[in-house]
Amino acid sequence: MPTQTAAEHELAILIVDALNLETVDPMQIDPQAPLFGGDLGLDSIDALEIALAVSKRYGMQLRSDHPDNQRIFSSLHALSEHIERERTV
Amino acid sequence: MSAHWQEQREGGSRASLGLLIHAALRCGRGFILFCLYPITLYYFLKRGAERRASRDYLTRLFGRPATVWQVLKHLHCFAVTMADRIYLLAHGERDFDIEVQGLDQLQQCIAQGRGVLLVGSHQGSFEVLRALSARCPEVQLRVLLDKQKTPAITELLESLAPEVGEAVIDVSRGGAAITLAVAEACRAGSMVALLADRGRAHETLRKVDFLQQPAPFPIGPWLLANTLQVPVVLCFGMYRGGRRYALSFELFAERVEIPRDGRDRAIDDVLRRYAQRLEHYARLEPYNWFNFYDFWQQDEAQPVAMVRANTVSEA
Repeated sequence: MPTQTAAEHELAILIVDALNLETVDPMQIDPQAPLFGGDLGLDSIDALEIALAVSKRYGMQLRSDHPDNQRIFSSLHALSEHIERERTV
Repeated sequence: MSAHWQEQREGGSRASLGLLIHAALRCGRGFILFCLYPITLYYFLKRGAERRASRDYLTRLFGRPATVWQVLKHLHCFAVTMADRIYLLAHGERDFDIEVQGLDQLQQCIAQGRGVLLVGSHQGSFEVLRALSARCPEVQLRVLLDKQKTPAITELLESLAPEVGEAVIDVSRGGAAITLAVAEACRAGSMVALLADRGRAHETLRKVDFLQQPAPFPIGPWLLANTLQVPVVLCFGMYRGGRRYALSFELFAERVEIPRDGRDRAIDDVLRRYAQRLEHYARLEPYNWFNFYDFWQQDEAQPVAMVRANTVSEA
């Protein structure tokens, strides 16, 4: 059973909602597993959907020109960590 | 087996392309257009795949076997528009007579300030659009392009107009950065142009009728339009012979809506409408179709699957 922090869990729910991943239980998303191209099979348009939902919820923009983008989008853990650092809401 | 277009090699080495560009600017368009006759003949003789693709397309379009002359004319038309890219990048619209249709529709969309998605195809010349966009520098034009597809041509052409290269969103980088960049450009009220007729390898494709037979089209551009919720305007820059180009804009949708329920049907409706417009322009300017590969993927053994994969297309 993957253990998520509270922030990771909240983000997992946001992702599942935003992408309408009916068959995915947010609790079951491994924080360290790849978000894109892995079991979840998310693509770059899903990434945009996530970015839009994140901007609405946390009042911050995920930027296309962020030098760490590859790491930020690598896993639930990395994305959550980045959001917690930069969020304004 | 039909080779995927992404495996087709770029015609000409970097050195010879550089020489061609240099010669084109030194000697002028008239001389280059003359040179394109033997060059076209050379390609006709050497490049079997392109020759067969041209004949196949023209035969479908005209409803009777295409002649050698028609295939040559087709390849020549492509060569002219490629050469004209040099002049359009170096001198803008100066040397050309560009007739524009539907500009008011585009301007109305721009005025909404939400950004505009300009969707084209590999028909005619998209360079005409870039040349024309210089008329209104206050609205930026970003172009989605795979710089790795034709690296030598891209690099050499960009050296003619560096600002054009900077406005490109390079699809070959892949990942979230691309879609985020498109969304940012739209938020800034810019135009983002992409070509939606060729599917890249591993991209999700769906088949709809084009010239009476199902052909695979990428669904990524339309999913992107659905997510962005910005106006979509179709854009075609057709070569009409001599120095004449016709640039057409037509509003495709104020918003593309692809609901979660009935997603496939909604996508197919959109693809069908898009394919019909391609067909319209193909009949208008038959020799402007520049997909020189088996567009219908007739030899494809397995059916086009609905897999979630890399879904952003390139221009």
